[in-house]
Amino acid sequence: MISGIQKLLKVREVPVFLALVLVILITGFANPRFFSISGVQDITLGVAVIAILAVAQTFVIVMRHIDLSVGSTIGFSAFLIGYQSSHGAPLWWCLLSGLLLGVGVGALNGFLVAYLQLPSLVVTLSSLYLVRGTFNEIAGGTTITNTDVPKFISFLGRNYLLGIPYLFWIAFVLMIAAGLVMRHLGWARDLYAIGSNPAASGLVGIPVARRTFTAFVITGAIAGLAGAVLLARFNTAAANSGTGLELNVVAACVVGGVAIAGGLGTPYGAVIGAVLLQAITLALGALGVPQFWQQAVNGILLISAISLDRYLSSRVKPTQIMRINA
Amino acid sequence: MKSFGGVKALQGASLVLNAGEIHALMGENGAGKSTLLKTLAGVHKADSGKITLQGSDFVQGSTKLAREQGIAVIYQEPSLFPDLSLAENVFVGRQPRKGSRIDWTLMETESEKLFKQLGVSLSPNTRARGLSIADQQIVEIAKALSINAKVIVMDEPTAALSSKEVERLFTVARNLRDNGCAVVFVSHRLDEVYALCDRITVMRDGATVGSGLTKELTEPALIKLMVGREISELFPKIEVKPGEVVLSVQNLGREGQFKDITFNVRAGEIVALSGLVGAGRSEVVRAIFGIDKFDEGEVVLNGTRLPSGNSAVAMKAGMALVPEDRRLQGLFMSASIAKNSAITVLNRLTRGGLLRAASEIRTAETWGKTLQLKYADIHDSVDRLSGGNQQKVVLAKWLATEPKLLIVDEPTRGIDVGTKAEVHRLLSQEAARGMAIIMVSSELPEVLGMADRVLVMREGLLVGEYSRDKATPEAVISTATGSIKTL
Repeated sequence: MISGIQKLLKVREVPVFLALVLVILITGFANPRFFSISGVQDITLGVAVIAILAVAQTFVIVMRHIDLSVGSTIGFSAFLIGYQSSHGAPLWWCLLSGLLLGVGVGALNGFLVAYLQLPSLVVTLSSLYLVRGTFNEIAGGTTITNTDVPKFISFLGRNYLLGIPYLFWIAFVLMIAAGLVMRHLGWARDLYAIGSNPAASGLVGIPVARRTFTAFVITGAIAGLAGAVLLARFNTAAANSGTGLELNVVAACVVGGVAIAGGLGTPYGAVIGAVLLQAITLALGALGVPQFWQQAVNGILLISAISLDRYLSSRVKPTQIMRINA
Repeated sequence: MKSFGGVKALQGASLVLNAGEIHALMGENGAGKSTLLKTLAGVHKADSGKITLQGSDFVQGSTKLAREQGIAVIYQEPSLFPDLSLAENVFVGRQPRKGSRIDWTLMETESEKLFKQLGVSLSPNTRARGLSIADQQIVEIAKALSINAKVIVMDEPTAALSSKEVERLFTVARNLRDNGCAVVFVSHRLDEVYALCDRITVMRDGATVGSGLTKELTEPALIKLMVGREISELFPKIEVKPGEVVLSVQNLGREGQFKDITFNVRAGEIVALSGLVGAGRSEVVRAIFGIDKFDEGEVVLNGTRLPSGNSAVAMKAGMALVPEDRRLQGLFMSASIAKNSAITVLNRLTRGGLLRAASEIRTAETWGKTLQLKYADIHDSVDRLSGGNQQKVVLAKWLATEPKLLIVDEPTRGIDVGTKAEVHRLLSQEAARGMAIIMVSSELPEVLGMADRVLVMREGLLVGEYSRDKATPEAVISTATGSIKTL
């Protein structure tokens, strides 16, 4: 029993989950409205977009890379979907164009990082600006309004299944799928190996460049498709859609135990991290804490998460480097 | 044959391995063992010659193919994936599948079976982070077994192991042999080679110079094979009459690394610190310079006692250290030659807190001339220079401080013969002008050619001291390997 609990606590996601439960309980007792159906719906609806992008981000972060371009991609995609729909394009075509946009940005990032070996931080920061700039030029002052949004998409954004918003169910299903893939498929395990020891990965025969490329394409593709979710959530899109989301996404991953140094973490953790950040924001609101302090609390949470990680890995005993038989 | 940029690293190397034997591969540093091993591992491809494995040609040049053909190389410091489980480490890149999914259960039971077969109790689902080097090697050996390796190469596996762990490794190696593997064991330790190996092959200067059964090869004969050449007057050592004691080290010790180190260095003297890799030589000089702390004893430079672990004080007192790994510790690779050369004396080149670029360049050029540095432009970044010229920049940087005691750690590793001679000429000149020099070197000809005195370390202890006329290759090697008891 005790060893079972110890084992469970060693799973990286469990402490974050316990923190989440704690936040909800404390806030709930202080402000019972937080426990209501609408409380749960607030959290799950608000977190869906970040959760989806966090799942996507997990693929690159476990490889010791990062993709900052997802905010621009998802915003551009949301606009593209609404714009095409307003010009009479069928739903499948709208979604496909969003997907292709994401795949394109992902392929560009992946090519530069995997084959030209440029640092992903700089590459994806550049594509963040590149995509956002192109998006602004195309969108201009155009705003996608609720009448432009495909009916199916706005239906998803405003309805619930078993009391939980459809958008969260989408994130949930994606999380499960990505979780299974990253646990059970050989190429996905390679991503962990690459992040854990890049130099050794090539030596054991892992096609490092190809895997790196694939991971960026997956992240881009999910961000592209998620444009539909962003559109559903707000029922509108404009040139500033999705701005700044990338930092919330990275924060969610790190809080959820996806190690920024690579090699560790799961989509489950990324989603739990996203939910925790969202819950804390809403909890602080429910407790009457001013909005700016809520951001500061997120900062503290991030620092705590990485400090805890560093502390845990520094507790591992050092390896002996030589012997003396004196 | 294998050459790198015009330098022949291997020529006339041959090695015959029989199934069911443990085969020692011996030779000095730079004899070509590593190059040969890397060729076997698929990291390098030989320019000529061929390798036959069980009657068919061995396809070279790919680490993956080398493994698939049944050759596994275990390096001194294995590179596992710290965040993955041991089972995943064993099967990384080729996990057993059930359909398209990874069969985790099979992977873990198979790993457990392998660990058990090797006689160690490691849990397959713990992470590799924090594993001792000995256990990491076991995981690598398990990996080798899981691909049915016929040839298992261990490159200096015992260098970082405790004696108990060495015993365990030996048992494992003998098991492998009894199961029909050919085990190649690279080691500098004669006692280990004689305890474990059935056959010995010796390399020197990139070629195989001898091979025979262990029981037919006596220790003196083996040492003679390894040393081979005459130590010629390759290096223009200037005879200097030693002056005052500059550095005095008394009973210096550092937990787990070295102890009871006592010696003096006089002005104008070059003292070589010799010994095997891992004997603790670099650790001692790092402690003297103050990069690492020492736990006991004292370091006195020109009558001043130096505090433990304070390199700033050591520098101020007139000490300089040219580290072993110049890329990592000695140079700012992307900065210019001028910046690198002058960085140690910046406060002498500033006026009113501002750096005068002209004097920075003047300093760099002066030293560049003395060292016969070959560069296109003094503003070029250092990573564009050859290894030999990089080493000269590191030397320039420290000579610019005009130290009373200069410590050089492996001053000529990886640089060509011509530059080597220049570095030696330079050290000799500085000594003649009264500088005291400590030279850590694994290259015997360099040690014997340059040093006024040779100190030999083994396993963290100072085990021998030879004056220039008494320092023969045989004496130094046998002291360093512990084949003859001295002191």
